[in-house]
Amino acid sequence: MAAAQDTGGEAAAGQWYDRANATYTTLVDAQHTVSSAYQFINVPMGIWVNEKGRVVRPAEPAWNSDQVMKITGDKSIVTEGKVYVDALRDWVRNGDRSQYALSDEEFARRVKPRSAAEMEADASFKLAVWFHENGKDELASKYWEHAQELNPDDWNYHRQEWSFGKDAGKKWMEKFQKLDKPYYPPLEIRKQ
Amino acid sequence: MHRRRFLFSSAGATIALAAPPAGVTVLYGDRTVHLDRVRPDPKDLWVRAADLPRINEFTLKPQGACRADMCIPISKELKSGAWFNLTGFAQRIHQASLHDSGVWSFGEMPVVRGDFYRSRIAPDFAVPDRKGRVVHLSDFRGRKVLVVTWASW
Repeated sequence: MAAAQDTGGEAAAGQWYDRANATYTTLVDAQHTVSSAYQFINVPMGIWVNEKGRVVRPAEPAWNSDQVMKITGDKSIVTEGKVYVDALRDWVRNGDRSQYALSDEEFARRVKPRSAAEMEADASFKLAVWFHENGKDELASKYWEHAQELNPDDWNYHRQEWSFGKDAGKKWMEKFQKLDKPYYPPLEIRKQ
Repeated sequence: MHRRRFLFSSAGATIALAAPPAGVTVLYGDRTVHLDRVRPDPKDLWVRAADLPRINEFTLKPQGACRADMCIPISKELKSGAWFNLTGFAQRIHQASLHDSGVWSFGEMPVVRGDFYRSRIAPDFAVPDRKGRVVHLSDFRGRKVLVVTWASW
């Protein structure tokens, strides 16, 4: 299922679902509930959940194509979709026997409890969304920025807010150029 | 009671009784709950204990605040008659909370979240689809699910 992390709702997300001719479950997640539930900090990200509701693979980039997007002279964004989709197909065929299903040890290595700052950022973001949806833009900005300060690594917090203002692209580039770490969390996907 | 009324009326003054506080909105998990009454307090959010289940699925019992098979002991300071100190409870369980302009937002409950880290059972969610029908992850038990996020921005 796909969950549009769009505070702008159907008005923002709908046309893209239409263009995709989506036949799967299509959610409009204005509050970013899914990102909050699974600790996603960018898009696209995904989790695999088995028939018993158990997370087979926790939060990681969920690309579907291989791309190298050169952004600046020395910085690019590289996506590895083929390896992800191949692994996904393997899991669909083989279930928990798939060698891409993570062990408990590997799950514990990858999934860490939120820090106090991250938890407050999560609450602040929700507050910002509520204020935005209820026409209180100054208060929305206040709490979006508070979330961004508490958890600067969460690109969703930034990009959602920027989408409602001016110069979203410019702001994105300014933050991207200052990055001293990869734009996406690593995709560590290999047979166990 | 009668004597009090007499005192009010005989004084000839209009004594304006404090208006009950306006309702508040509580953001808790994926829920948005409007409460028409809360107990006045300069700092904390006191809710009716009867409202607790629809806020966070907890119920007050002799052994504490309980949800499913978990009970959290609570100090008597968190209770006052029919009222329960929700922000005091949040502090007790190390849960973040923020408020502004009558809206209170609560972060995850570490004690509940910890179950995810231990069990790997995916936290459930309730999110609308394009037609506004609420979808839960748990609706898909019995099937493999890939949950992917994306955005128009």
